[in-house]
Amino acid sequence: MTEPATPILSLRGIGKSYGPVVAVREVDLDIHAGEVVAICGDNGAGKSSLIKVISGAEEPSSGTISMRGKPVAFASPHDALSHGVATIYQDLALAPRLSIYQNVFMGSELTRPVLLPFLRVLDKAKMIAESQRFLAQLSVAITDMTRPVERLSGGQRQAVAISRALRWNAEIIIMDEPTAALGVKETALVLDLIRKLKADGHTVLLISHNMRDVVALADRVVIMGAGRKFVDRPIDGLTADDLSHMIMSGNARAA
Amino acid sequence: MREVIGRYGTAIAGLAIIVFFVLFAPNFALPNNMLNVLKETSFLAILALGFTLAFTVAELDLSIAEVASLAAVVAGWLIQSQMHPGLAVAGGLAVGAAFGAANGYGVTVLRIPSLIMTLGTAAIAKGLAFMLTQGVAFMGRWPVGFTGLARGTVFGIPNLILWMAAVTLFAYGLVKWTRTGAHMVATGEADEAARLAGIATGRMKRIGMLLTGLCAGITAVLLAASLSSAAPNMAGDYLLYAIAAVLLGMTMFEPGKPNIPGTVFAALVLKVLGNGLVMMGAPYYVQDIVLGAIIIGSVAFSASAMKTAAFKV
Repeated sequence: MTEPATPILSLRGIGKSYGPVVAVREVDLDIHAGEVVAICGDNGAGKSSLIKVISGAEEPSSGTISMRGKPVAFASPHDALSHGVATIYQDLALAPRLSIYQNVFMGSELTRPVLLPFLRVLDKAKMIAESQRFLAQLSVAITDMTRPVERLSGGQRQAVAISRALRWNAEIIIMDEPTAALGVKETALVLDLIRKLKADGHTVLLISHNMRDVVALADRVVIMGAGRKFVDRPIDGLTADDLSHMIMSGNARAA
Repeated sequence: MREVIGRYGTAIAGLAIIVFFVLFAPNFALPNNMLNVLKETSFLAILALGFTLAFTVAELDLSIAEVASLAAVVAGWLIQSQMHPGLAVAGGLAVGAAFGAANGYGVTVLRIPSLIMTLGTAAIAKGLAFMLTQGVAFMGRWPVGFTGLARGTVFGIPNLILWMAAVTLFAYGLVKWTRTGAHMVATGEADEAARLAGIATGRMKRIGMLLTGLCAGITAVLLAASLSSAAPNMAGDYLLYAIAAVLLGMTMFEPGKPNIPGTVFAALVLKVLGNGLVMMGAPYYVQDIVLGAIIIGSVAFSASAMKTAAFKV
């Protein structure tokens, strides 16, 4: 198989321990631009800890991260975001009582100068217009950007969270169990959102328990167990059942 | 209609209370009395605005009243020692800001819950105030340069009311118009989401609590200037009133959320209620009972307003 150019994101020997508990051991992983890579594994396999390291929420205990061949260090979520790595967490991503545009622009609000060049105030009108544009890009029809997020459906909330990633111009979007809490119709909506992201050239890291979602979306699958990566291969023709078997056999091996 | 009642119901009730006293409380409607009520409101409003900012970043500050007493005592002590009024003002504000900063540090760096941290600093402030004064109030003929801060007027408008307007505008502008304000709101609404969105939530909490302390300092300086005296327990009664103002304020304009206009209007309503009851000859203890009922009633109202909001999709 011919390797494309330098991976957009590359992990070498990443480990993460919490005191005596080792959550991630020696993980090497290369992600190429435009790929959708699924990370699977049972509870406690180390997926979430690995994601926290990539998203800057936690610092790795060992190993290095590089982007396009250049070493980077993510000491905070802000560092990762400014390198174009945005993470959408299952249920921690949004402030339910704040409006759509406030959530989209949370942490990176737009401002405009008033009276003096250094005196800047929030540019609500522009944030509303931009939020509308992001949601339209994702083909989500919501008109009122001042609506609190708690009044949206689960799928619409995911769209708001993805809009925030778009707002950061994120190249790599990490999605943690994006369909876990959703019904059938809402799940279909979110799967479409992910397809749109891929079509627009984004790289997506998908953490999922739902093997059907994985088969439907991913180009490549990485399976973890007991903190290690033990499968990393193209999805080519694998079925959901194949993946489940791989996860279980990996568990058996780890045990 | 439901939306209107949720948003403005208690504000309209507050307005009704004011109108009631204007019509029925003897002497309440005299211009002098109403002006006094407004002036009295300024102390409470500024202190409660501080508490609102702490609440905006989802922290409590139970030290505001004791810190205000200590700040007043420090300002009074500096005046009494023939220091320049400007220095006395700076001293009072510095005490407030220092306690606010300490509270913020304790909550974010030492990870002490704000309830505990601020109870602790409240006790410390109280002790220091009694230490400085030995339990006796500072008072005397203080320079107009100091007392004028609270007693003077600009174009006929009492300074106290102008200070209240200035602090209100500052707090409102900060929360509504600035990025820092937006980050404070996000931190208070969803701490973890804000952190993951790249917001320095610890810093936001420290800013909120620092400003809370600073507001206590401003209140203290104005109180001392207005009374020409500083006693170690002079602001003690204000804590419950400030909390009541913030909670009652949370029932109006932006139900369920601490908000600046709500706090200021609620402070006015509370002061009108206190004054009106006195004018109608109600015994002093009625105020406390009413205050307690307002605190409990406000929270109950906010909770039910939020419930209906959540169900109404």
